[in-house]
Amino acid sequence: MKELTAADEANLIEFAVPEGRSLMQDGLRRLKKDKLAIACIGIVIFYALVAILAKLGVIATPWDVKVAGSYSPPSFQSLPLIFGTDNFGYSVFYKVIQGARVSMSVGLVSCMISTPIGITLGALAGYFGGWIDEVVVWLFTTLSSVPSIMLLIAIVFVLGKGLGAIYFALGITAWVSLCRVIRGEFMKHKTRDYVLAAESVGASHFSRVFKHILPNVSHFVIIDVSIQFMSAIKAEVILSFLGIGVQGQPSWGVMIDDAKLELSRGAWWQLAAATMAMFFIVLAFNILGDALRDALDPKLKGHA
Amino acid sequence: MRLQLTWGDIAAKDITMLRRLRASALLPLSLFILSACTHAKKAEPANTLHIASPAKIKGLDPVQADDLYAGDEVSRPYEGLLQYHYLKRPYVLVPALAEALPIVSKDGKTYTFKIQKGILFQDDPCFKETGGKGRELTADDFVYSWKRLADPKNNSPGFWIFDGKVVGISDWHNAAQKAGTADYSKPIDGLKAIDRYTLQITLTQPSSQFLYFLAMPFTYVVPHEAAEFYGVEFANHPVGTGPYRLTESTPGSKYVWDRNPTFRMERYPSEGETGDQAAGYLADAGKTLPLNDRVVMTVYEESQPQWLSFMAGKLDLSGIPKDNYSQAVSASKEINPELARKGIRLVKSPGLDVTYEAFNMLDPVVGGMSPRAKMLRQAISLAMDHDPAIELFYNGRAISAEGPIPPGISGYDPAFKNPYRHENIARAKDLLAKAGYPDGKGLSPLVYLSTSSSTDRQLSELFSKMLANIGVTLDVRTSSWPEFTASIKQGKGQLWGMAWQADYPDAENFLQLLYSKNARPGPNDAAYSNPEFDRLYEKALTLPDGPQRTAIYQQMVKIAAEDAPWVFGVDRLIFDVVHPWTKNVKLNIFDHGWCKYVKIDPSLKK
Amino acid sequence: MISYILRKIVSTIPTLFGVTFLVFILFNIAGGDPALRIAGKYATAERIAEIRHQHGWDQSLPLQYTHFLKEIVTFDYGTSDVTHQPVRDMILGGIGPSLSLTVPAFFLTTLIAIVIGLLVAYFRGRWVDKVVVIGCVLGMSIPMLAYILFGQYFFAYRLGWFPIHGFEMGFPEQLYSVALPVIIWVMVSLGYDVRFYRTAVLEETNQDYVRTARAKGLAEPRVFLKHVLKNSMAPIITNVVIEIPLLIMGAFLLESFFGIPGIGGITIDALNNSDFQVLKAMTVLQSFLLIFGNTMTDVLYVWVDPRVKLS
Repeated sequence: MKELTAADEANLIEFAVPEGRSLMQDGLRRLKKDKLAIACIGIVIFYALVAILAKLGVIATPWDVKVAGSYSPPSFQSLPLIFGTDNFGYSVFYKVIQGARVSMSVGLVSCMISTPIGITLGALAGYFGGWIDEVVVWLFTTLSSVPSIMLLIAIVFVLGKGLGAIYFALGITAWVSLCRVIRGEFMKHKTRDYVLAAESVGASHFSRVFKHILPNVSHFVIIDVSIQFMSAIKAEVILSFLGIGVQGQPSWGVMIDDAKLELSRGAWWQLAAATMAMFFIVLAFNILGDALRDALDPKLKGHA
Repeated sequence: MRLQLTWGDIAAKDITMLRRLRASALLPLSLFILSACTHAKKAEPANTLHIASPAKIKGLDPVQADDLYAGDEVSRPYEGLLQYHYLKRPYVLVPALAEALPIVSKDGKTYTFKIQKGILFQDDPCFKETGGKGRELTADDFVYSWKRLADPKNNSPGFWIFDGKVVGISDWHNAAQKAGTADYSKPIDGLKAIDRYTLQITLTQPSSQFLYFLAMPFTYVVPHEAAEFYGVEFANHPVGTGPYRLTESTPGSKYVWDRNPTFRMERYPSEGETGDQAAGYLADAGKTLPLNDRVVMTVYEESQPQWLSFMAGKLDLSGIPKDNYSQAVSASKEINPELARKGIRLVKSPGLDVTYEAFNMLDPVVGGMSPRAKMLRQAISLAMDHDPAIELFYNGRAISAEGPIPPGISGYDPAFKNPYRHENIARAKDLLAKAGYPDGKGLSPLVYLSTSSSTDRQLSELFSKMLANIGVTLDVRTSSWPEFTASIKQGKGQLWGMAWQADYPDAENFLQLLYSKNARPGPNDAAYSNPEFDRLYEKALTLPDGPQRTAIYQQMVKIAAEDAPWVFGVDRLIFDVVHPWTKNVKLNIFDHGWCKYVKIDPSLKK
Repeated sequence: MISYILRKIVSTIPTLFGVTFLVFILFNIAGGDPALRIAGKYATAERIAEIRHQHGWDQSLPLQYTHFLKEIVTFDYGTSDVTHQPVRDMILGGIGPSLSLTVPAFFLTTLIAIVIGLLVAYFRGRWVDKVVVIGCVLGMSIPMLAYILFGQYFFAYRLGWFPIHGFEMGFPEQLYSVALPVIIWVMVSLGYDVRFYRTAVLEETNQDYVRTARAKGLAEPRVFLKHVLKNSMAPIITNVVIEIPLLIMGAFLLESFFGIPGIGGITIDALNNSDFQVLKAMTVLQSFLLIFGNTMTDVLYVWVDPRVKLS
């Protein structure tokens, strides 16, 4: 069998994927028109920027210094005091920013773990079928049958607490929904003409899976990531509340947890600040997820 | 919970998967299950005492009552031979079911108790022969109850109080272990009912702590009829001689206790420590106990509802949730003016505990008794100062611990100053150099074990910062509490943080933490071993409380300070908040039966 | 049909095994050594060995796994080492309180969500629809903890409309004591459900037969009531059915904040105390309920829709 040249490959893709190309382009065009979605992308970028700057130590550092007395209410005297202080007199504003860093990293890293797993297993199962499919289906049915909170807890328990364990635990449990979708799409796509055409010119399994089919189903990945990212942020809060979350640095979950008692003495600002910070990013991802789905998934066109 | 349990799936509900179904499938609406509880809610007596526990109660079987909360709970239906005087400090034992303190033989090994006559168990269906009427308590009941403590089937965490101490009880335990089942008819030499009201206990060696054990909840007396009748359910059906009987419960979460009509005649004490008269603790002297008709104990696992319930007057007294301290107490350690306006007062007591960081004494670097290792430990002790933690983590609710014995325990020496306790960087550096690690060179990071609670985590950060001052680095490893205890029992670190709260008011309870025969998995986590310390410990065991014993204790404290198997931490204080209508609250970590002394004055309740 | 149901049930067996195996691995190998906890602070090596032996933890892993399977089949998980209660009794005792919270909460949510979902689907694209959709997303974006903390502080403590904490048996105290947690549950889940039902109905409005009906000149309200509503009941019912078995598991945050002695709270306590016996039982129970719900939905699909092939 003759080797394909790069040009052949390119041609093949060009020839085979017009549907996908136009779908993505079409989707992006539609997304651009959606002002709300653009605003949400702006919010996500803003949070990411804040997280990166906090990580680099440019802003909100150091957060663990006394900026005022214990439980000073919010004031506009200076930036660190804008959301008041906690019981140690630390700036709640700085803690919220540091929390953004934790949340964004939890979302990012867990997606970076779960997405490749979901894509690979889903693609293998959908493409090859047979016993591979059965094993993968068994794997994700089993995994999704064990309550995810239990699974998370058990994994964190084994790995010891901390951010690393949270990344891993969320990543390793969150691939199921993506895997399910990708598997279904691959089953549909593998018998389509363009894949059969690729096969006839001798494209390997690898190239058929990753070069031909995957680009055509990639919009599902984007939709799923936007949802996983948000779920991970919310899960971090729950885990922190259960005392098995982030250790030794501010996170929104820890802040909300700390706020349990502050409320009854009238110190509402830490709860409010952390909730608001979380609210906007989750809201942005929620709206974005919807917009992406509407824009990229043709089956649901016109539903919004 | 739906939201949390399926956090990933709900958001990703796959809408495209939906298929049409015919509307003919009817919704099974029959799922409304509201338990048809017929009994109407009885009116609550006006003088009901409402209290809270921050943790679920692990059953009501005395042999399992190894924490404060279970200990308190089993003390409502059950009693032991002895109890602590409610008001007097230092702590004094007084008879409960015993007629008087026991007669002790000359060799100090045989204790003879006379049990009060006419004490009745609560009425309960388990007393079949009497048609449910509670029968009289006899000496045999104690023999039975203490065999339960030794029964391998019960896995009692309290068996240590008799194990190896009462003649024959360990053999009885081992025989039962071997046979797979315990034979309660088999006698134990050291545990005899001489007659209906006389109980004789023989010890393997004299012990000046033994009487304290007989006030611990593990030794409370239970009737064999109840344990046999209820079987595994016994933990939910207490049948004792105590001041209250259980009328309603949600196992673990809520218990409603009503005055036991057949409770023996017991009166509120008529004397106390100095100042009790002025503080009003003696206003009810001589009155029949219990002073309230009902106790309602509710578990509040979250501190917000507990605090709000207290503030709303639904709880008559409450501990101050740890994180909530600054709301209740002002900077001068007095009640916050805001709360004082409502008449709420603060009750304080020493916590009778010590926190410490234990060195792994079997470790090749920090352990052992070589001068080099000793100097290393001393240097670390001098650098790792707990004083800043008192303000940062305990809100000032603690004092520096100079040795293993906390204040409030006899044997505590307020004059003693530990030479390695407070920060002295220059001396620490000097010792470190002498140990062969100038500025920490040549010393690999020390493995420090900690739990992952945020306080512990912050504490370890503080210590890391402090040790950096002398060039020593900490490798902090956090884990969950059960995992952490397992790790230290296996010695998987070089240093770890711990706390010990007294089981009884004798310094021995703290010094045994350093006795070599108690090495881990026993209470001596550090596995500290110093023959001289051991010799003094064994000598003190046989001595009665007095100047001679106190002198030995002081000597032992000095040895422990010099060898530095621990970095000594702090001794904590307990604070409770109490509403104005709640009278006679005096904190007492040993006397679990305190509820019977507390009075509610409904006229002061708005 | 019956053979289809049987086949469905048989097909769950590998999953059931997978779940039991996963749970066993997680709690037995990875979970640490509970003997050290049971032995207490005055532990001796002897006592620890005794405890291990008594619980069969010194046996080989395959033997322990067989024992675990036996526990599952007989629904007899022995006695908890922490609470000293039979695990079965703990579970049975927790179901009542959990259901008295989750059943009213779930049906209330479903009812409200379906009504709102239908309404906004009818008015799709108009301002009512947009406001509701945004409202849903807003509601979904607030963590439940914030709802609880605020609700408990404001409605129970400050306004005194509800009890702060506590659970009463009997009618009507029981309803009163779960009222606030039920409302919080409804607030938290309404967003998800309204969106879900709205989409389910909308999917129906785009079907060909609806277009045909419209093309025939039927008035929109009539099309909606006669065709769309009737047919979209199907996904709605499926969605409801799949959730029902899980109601038994309760709601741990609400239970621990409001002192409802349900399954959720028991699970969290077991977690905090490393009570593996209870954790194992709860995990298995919940997994089986999930599998049961899924299988039931599959069967329901086929039963009501003959177009789905019995494959």
